[in-house]
Amino acid sequence: MANGASPIIGLIFIVVISILAYFFSPKGENQTVWRSTLILSFASCYIMWAIVFLAQWHPLIKPANANLRPQFVHS
Amino acid sequence: MGPPKDTLFRSADMCLTQLYIANEIGREVVSALGEVGEVQFRDLNTDTTAFQKTFTQEIRRLDNVERQLRYFGSQIEKESIPVRPQYEFSNILAAPSASEIDELADNSERLEQRVSSLYDSYETLKKREVELTEWRWVLTEAGGFFDRGDVEEIRQSTEDDDAPLLRDVEQQPRGQNGDTTGGQSLSGMNIGFVAGVIPRSRIAAFERILWRTLRGNLYMNQSEIPKPIVDPTNNEEIQKNVFVIFAHGKEILAKIRKISESLGADLYSVDENSELRRDQVHEVNSRLSDLASVLRNTKNTLDAELTQIARSLAAWLVVVRKEKAVYQTLNRCSYDQARKTLIAEAWCPTNSLPLIKSTLQDVNDRAGLSVPTIVNQIKTSKTPPTYNKRNKFTEAFQTIIDAYGTAKYTEVNPGLPTIVTFPFLFAVMFGDMGHGSLMALAASAMIYWEKPLLKTKLNELVSMAFYGRYIMLMMGVYSIFTGLLYNDIFSKALTLFPSQWHWPDDFSTGQSVEANLEGSYRYPFGLDWNWHGTDNELLFSNSLKMKLSILLGWAHMTFSLCLSYINARHFKSPIDIWGNFVPGMVFFQSIFGYLVFTIIYKWCVDWIAIKKQPPSLLNMLIYMFLQPGTVAEDEKLYSGQETVQVILVLVAVICVPILLLLKPLYLRWEHNRARAMGYRGIGETSRFSALDDENEDGNTMNGGRDSMGSDREAAAMVTQDIGDEEHEEFEFSEVMIHQVIHTIEFCLNCVSHTASYLRLWALSLAHQQLSVVLWDMTLGNAFGMTGVLGVIMVVVFFYVWFFLSIAILCVMEGTSAMLHSLRLHWVEAMSKHFMGDGIMFQPFSFKLLLEEEENEG
Repeated sequence: MANGASPIIGLIFIVVISILAYFFSPKGENQTVWRSTLILSFASCYIMWAIVFLAQWHPLIKPANANLRPQFVHS
Repeated sequence: MGPPKDTLFRSADMCLTQLYIANEIGREVVSALGEVGEVQFRDLNTDTTAFQKTFTQEIRRLDNVERQLRYFGSQIEKESIPVRPQYEFSNILAAPSASEIDELADNSERLEQRVSSLYDSYETLKKREVELTEWRWVLTEAGGFFDRGDVEEIRQSTEDDDAPLLRDVEQQPRGQNGDTTGGQSLSGMNIGFVAGVIPRSRIAAFERILWRTLRGNLYMNQSEIPKPIVDPTNNEEIQKNVFVIFAHGKEILAKIRKISESLGADLYSVDENSELRRDQVHEVNSRLSDLASVLRNTKNTLDAELTQIARSLAAWLVVVRKEKAVYQTLNRCSYDQARKTLIAEAWCPTNSLPLIKSTLQDVNDRAGLSVPTIVNQIKTSKTPPTYNKRNKFTEAFQTIIDAYGTAKYTEVNPGLPTIVTFPFLFAVMFGDMGHGSLMALAASAMIYWEKPLLKTKLNELVSMAFYGRYIMLMMGVYSIFTGLLYNDIFSKALTLFPSQWHWPDDFSTGQSVEANLEGSYRYPFGLDWNWHGTDNELLFSNSLKMKLSILLGWAHMTFSLCLSYINARHFKSPIDIWGNFVPGMVFFQSIFGYLVFTIIYKWCVDWIAIKKQPPSLLNMLIYMFLQPGTVAEDEKLYSGQETVQVILVLVAVICVPILLLLKPLYLRWEHNRARAMGYRGIGETSRFSALDDENEDGNTMNGGRDSMGSDREAAAMVTQDIGDEEHEEFEFSEVMIHQVIHTIEFCLNCVSHTASYLRLWALSLAHQQLSVVLWDMTLGNAFGMTGVLGVIMVVVFFYVWFFLSIAILCVMEGTSAMLHSLRLHWVEAMSKHFMGDGIMFQPFSFKLLLEEEENEG
C-alpha cells in the first residue's frame, strides 16, 4: 500500500488540491487569505508528512525492546 | 485602470486627498467620516499651540460636560447603582446633531448643580447627625461619671490636702480658681469640667500632653464608644472615646479646651444636673430622629436622580467623546477666512474614495447645501501610511507582525503567511493530538460564544487568550495533525494502520528482541506505533526530529528570502535582486540547500541493501569546508561528491564579495552618472538657490514652507511641494557600511538561524517526554493497582493527571512553544525580507476611539 512511490503520489495530490483551492477559494475581499492559508497549510502539512515518511523508508535502526511479553505482540 | 484590490498581501494603496468643506457643515462632514473610519487627517496646524486653534472653545465646553458626566459616573459608582451598559444602545454609532449636543450640555449642567447641591446638603446633614450622635454618647457616658458619684470623690479629695488625692495617684487637682463650664454643684468649689469625644488612636498622646502641660492638675475620666463613628466626608469608620476632664480654674480649662481641639477632639456641653441632662438627651434624640427622616428623603431623591442618570449615562459619554473627537479633528484642518471653507488633508485608502465621496454627498444633501464638498487627490512624495485591512480572523496574526514593526508602505506583509507558519511551527513543538484537541476545543468554545464574551469584561489572561482565539484554533488544529504524525495522543500511540515492523514469534520474557521490516510496506501516516515504548525510541525520534527541524527551517527561511525578491520587484530596484537576493539565495542554498539535499538523499538510499556504512552528514558538512576536495571512501554519499562540494564551496565564497560590493558600487556609479548628466538632489538645489539669494539659511525652500503657508490662494499647489520629505544625500561610506553589516549579518545568520530551528526538535522532545513522565507518575501508576483502591486511585489520579495536563502541558508548554514560534518569525524569518520602516495608518474612527476608551476604562 504505502511504499517508496508514496511521497511522489502525495506531492501530486497536494499540487492538485492546491490548484483546486486556488480556484475554489471563496470570492470576496478575503480570497487572498483563503488561498494563501489553504495552499500554505497543504504545503507545510505535506512537507512534514513526507519527512516523517522518508525517515522510515529505509530505517537504519530497528525498534528493540527488552520488556516485551510474547503474548502481547500484535500479529 | 483602478488601483489593485486591497489584500493582506501588501498594505492598501493610499492617496493623499484634500477636502474643501463648507464651513457650515464641517462638523457633520467630519463626524460622518468618523463613522466611516477610513480617513487619517493630517495636522495642518502643527505650529499653532493648542490654545490658538479654531475650535478650542468647543473642546473646552465638551471637556466640561465630560467632566460632569464623569462626576455622575463616580457618584453612581459610589452608590453602586447599576449603569446601563453601552452595547444596549442600538443607535450608538449614529452621529449626534448640534442641537442634541447643546441639549446634553445644558442637561448635564443642570443635573450637576442638582446632584451636587443634593450631595452638599446630604453631607451637611450627615455631619450634623454624627455630631448629634457623638453628643448623645457624651451625654450618656459622661452622665455615667456623675451618676456614679465620682464628683463626690473629687470634692472630697480636693478638700483634704493630705489625703491620697485620687485613686489614680498622679492626678492632683490643686488649683482653687473658679470655673463656669461645670455644673452648679461643682462651681461651689471652683471645679470645672470639659467633655468631648476624641479618636481612640490619639487618646494616649492626649493624656500625656495634658499631664505635661497641666502638671497633673486634672482629673480625667474616659470610656470607649462601643460603636465606630462613620466620618461622612470619606466614609471611614473611626473608633472614638468619650472623655470628661475635671480641673480647677478658668485658664486651665481653657488650656484643656485648646489642647483637645488641636488634637481633633470634639467638645460638647454637658449639664451636671441629671435632670437637665435627661432633658438634653431627650432633645438630642428627637433631633436625631428628625434628622434621620430628612436624611432619608434627601438620599431617596439623590438615588432617584442618579438612577435616572445611570440609565443614559453611557450613551451621553459616547456622544460627548465623539463630539470632542470631531472638534479635535477639525482643529487639524486649516480655515480659509476669505472663502469660508475648511481645508482638510487626509490619507485614505484609494479603494475607499468612492465610499468617502458618497458619504460626503449624503451629508451635503442632508444639509441642503448647493456648494458641494470638493475631494481633490494630490500627488505627493510623502510616504503614505501602511494600512492592512484586517478582519477578526486576521487581526491577531497581523498584531504579531505589527508588534515587531510596521511594514514599509506596500511591502510584502508577512502577516499573510504567518497565518499558517506561526501556528504550524508552534504545532511542530506542541505535537500531541490530545493536547492539540484540548486547545482547539477551548478556542472553538471562545469562537462559538464570541458575541457574549465580547460584551463581558474578562480578566487580563483570559482576554489575551480570547484576543488570540483564532490563533489558538489554528494552533490546536495543526497540533492535532502533527500529533498524528508523531503518533502521540497524551503520550500514547494510535494504531491506525498495520505496522511496518513485526516482532519475532519466539522469544521469552525479558529477552531483548528486535523487530524486522515487513517487505516493502511502509507505515503510511506518521511514526510507526511499534516505536512506542521501545528501548531505542528516542534514538530514532531524535534523529527524525532533528532533521525535521533543519528541513522545516530551511523551507521557512527560503520562503522568507523569496519574499525579499517580491519586494525588490515591487519597488522596482533590480539592484536589490542582483546585489542582495541572488547572491544571498545562492550562498544559502549552496551550503544549507545542499545539506537538505543530502539529508533527503540519505533517507532515499537503502544503505543496508547496498551493504554500505551510511556516512555522517554532520562530518560531511564540516569536512566540506575543512578539507574541500577530499571525501573519505567510507564516508561517501555518492560518486563525484568531491567535485560537487568543491564547486558549491567556491560558489558560496564567490557570493560573499558580490553580496558585499555589488550594490554599493552600483549605487555609486548610478549617482555619479546622474551628477555627470547634470541632475541634482532636491536638497542640493535648494542650497544652490539659497546661495544665489545670498541667504545663509539653506533650508528655506525645503523644510520652512509648510503646505499651508502664507499664500493660501495656491493651497492645492503648495501641498504638492516637497514638504518635510526626506531627501537623503548619497553618501557612499554610509551605503558601504550598511552593506558590510548586512553581508556579515546575512552570512553568519545563515548558520545561526539554521541552528536556531533546532529549537523545534528540542521543544517537541521536551513536550513529549514531559507528557510521558506525567502519565507514568499519575495514571500509569493508578492503573497498576487493583481492587477498590485501584478504582479510587484511578479516579483521583485522573483528576490530577487531567489538571496537570492542562496546566503544565497545555498552558505552560503551550506558552513556551508560542514564544519560540514567535521568535522564529520575528528573528529567523522576518530578518530575511522585512524592511519595517513604515508609519501605521491611524484613521479617525469613532469605533476605534470608543474601543480604546473602553480598554482604558
